[in-house]
Amino acid sequence: MERNTRRNFIRKLGATVGAAGVVGGTSILSSCNSVETSSGDKIKLLTSSGELVEVDKSQLTPAEMPNLSENQKRGREGLPGRSWVMVIDLSKCRNARECMKACQNHHQLRPEQHHINVLQMQDAEHTAPYYMPKPCQHCDNPPCTKVCPVNATFKRNDGIVLIDNERCIGCRFCIAACPYSARVFNWFEPRDAEKYKGVTYNIEANVPQKKGTISKCLFSADRLRDGKLPSCVSACPNGVYWFGDRNEDAVTNGTTKETVSFSKLIKDNAAYTLMEELGTKPRVYYLPPKDRAFPFEGDLIEHHS
Amino acid sequence: MKTKVNRLMIGILMFLALPGMGQDWQVPADQLNIENPSSYNLENVKKGKDLYLQNCKSCHGDPGKNNHLPLVPPPPDITSEQMQANTDGGLFYKITKGRGGMPQFETTISADDRWRLINFIRNYNSEKEQLLIDAPPVNAKILASVNEAEKKVEILAEYEDKSGSYQQLENAPVFISAKKAFGNLLLGQALTDKNGRSVFSVPETVIGDEEGNVTIVVTLDENYKAEQVVLEEAKVGKPKEVPQLIRKEVLWSTNENVQIWLLLSYLGAAGAAWIAIGYVIFQLIKIKRFSKQ
Repeated sequence: MERNTRRNFIRKLGATVGAAGVVGGTSILSSCNSVETSSGDKIKLLTSSGELVEVDKSQLTPAEMPNLSENQKRGREGLPGRSWVMVIDLSKCRNARECMKACQNHHQLRPEQHHINVLQMQDAEHTAPYYMPKPCQHCDNPPCTKVCPVNATFKRNDGIVLIDNERCIGCRFCIAACPYSARVFNWFEPRDAEKYKGVTYNIEANVPQKKGTISKCLFSADRLRDGKLPSCVSACPNGVYWFGDRNEDAVTNGTTKETVSFSKLIKDNAAYTLMEELGTKPRVYYLPPKDRAFPFEGDLIEHHS
Repeated sequence: MKTKVNRLMIGILMFLALPGMGQDWQVPADQLNIENPSSYNLENVKKGKDLYLQNCKSCHGDPGKNNHLPLVPPPPDITSEQMQANTDGGLFYKITKGRGGMPQFETTISADDRWRLINFIRNYNSEKEQLLIDAPPVNAKILASVNEAEKKVEILAEYEDKSGSYQQLENAPVFISAKKAFGNLLLGQALTDKNGRSVFSVPETVIGDEEGNVTIVVTLDENYKAEQVVLEEAKVGKPKEVPQLIRKEVLWSTNENVQIWLLLSYLGAAGAAWIAIGYVIFQLIKIKRFSKQ
């Protein structure tokens, strides 16, 4: 037999009040939901399948547009099953800088900002100089993402390191952490800032750029989603870049559109990665500048002592 | 007499104008008249063609089709007068040294092969007998199917003869590729037998999608005009491995990524601090009570 304690009384009281609250709440909500079913005004609409239909005006709701948060979610997930890699053939580069131009146009960068930069290199005093395009290395063990205090920069499962400029607070820790100097900061109003005002931010192309935030190479993630090669790869006139999916062991040349086995290409040509001693596991492979297709014509600053 | 002077003047003017013209490519006089040491025969021309397809076609385009890359200055078609006006020695010098957009092939193609390449270019010279004749592509058809159990591609090729009926295509190379993210990766080639049939064994190493499905593309070479056959998702490859690059829980800055041990030890430490403070306050109250008594 249940004893009539104070505790039991309170329990019962709580249940009753709670139930009353739920009932009352739903009745209030349902009153909100009841829409006038017909206002008389009809509107003619063309459906996506090409049919002309008539809809009551009161039934209309605004269509769902891909919004910022959806872009951000999609951008964080990456392309399923892919593992993007780039191979740069240093023997083919002649400093045409078409990659840089295409990149700056795609990502709305100012002339002094580079997601990819063609550097003039000389490894030691008596060695031959060469040109070296240097994009973000998209490390598998990225130092930059780990120092971000707001999770604005992150690694995706398809290998790409991305930035969410809506989260970026401009602290520039990642610039300090990156051993490849792959990141740039928007110190000034970005290029074409007026033109792209109010455009929804596209995380996969990092456009429009935002003053006070970081920008970097993203392997043209928006183009990859459309099945296109990155801007720099497609723009190169000299066949320097190979790009593809490491999981399916194939890379495609941006100029000749030739597809070869990735593992064979890097094995046959003794490919290397930059500063692999740091343990960053870069995703950009370099083929040594042997049997050069073009002579080096740059002006090196002599700084070897 | 007057015409002679005129000609001389024009000659001098042209000579003066040459160094100023950016388009002109000067070849040193001692290189200009070197004769081609490799003989002009079908074998050398064929080899030259292979070299051309590999190294030159990407810019200069198909011979006679004027489909070169839109570069400045434009890479001339090898059948063009501009190309054929060069002497053998001049061509050799230009291929060897390169200039601007034209690569230097000194290091990548051997001297013998460069001469063979010139033999191939001369195949399109109006003064020479054309050894390698480019017949217009013949209409052809390919039928192909995949034997998934034996991992083989079975191919039947036919061509259209002059009367317009389709005949078995004998002894023709068929190319089998796998569709990849941005292009088709050549797996290998097979020759058709006298019935126009051939069987291609898909190598063990071919990687498909997550289930091992490979989209196979079958084509003929450029001598035939045939629609390529695309065999969608044939289960003949190894399943693609998709390694996880990201661990769910890492020492990162957001709650969703935090490690459980880190969260628990933080909460534990914070809780212990509050308990300690509470204990001290409780003791102080106790002392106060005692002092009242």
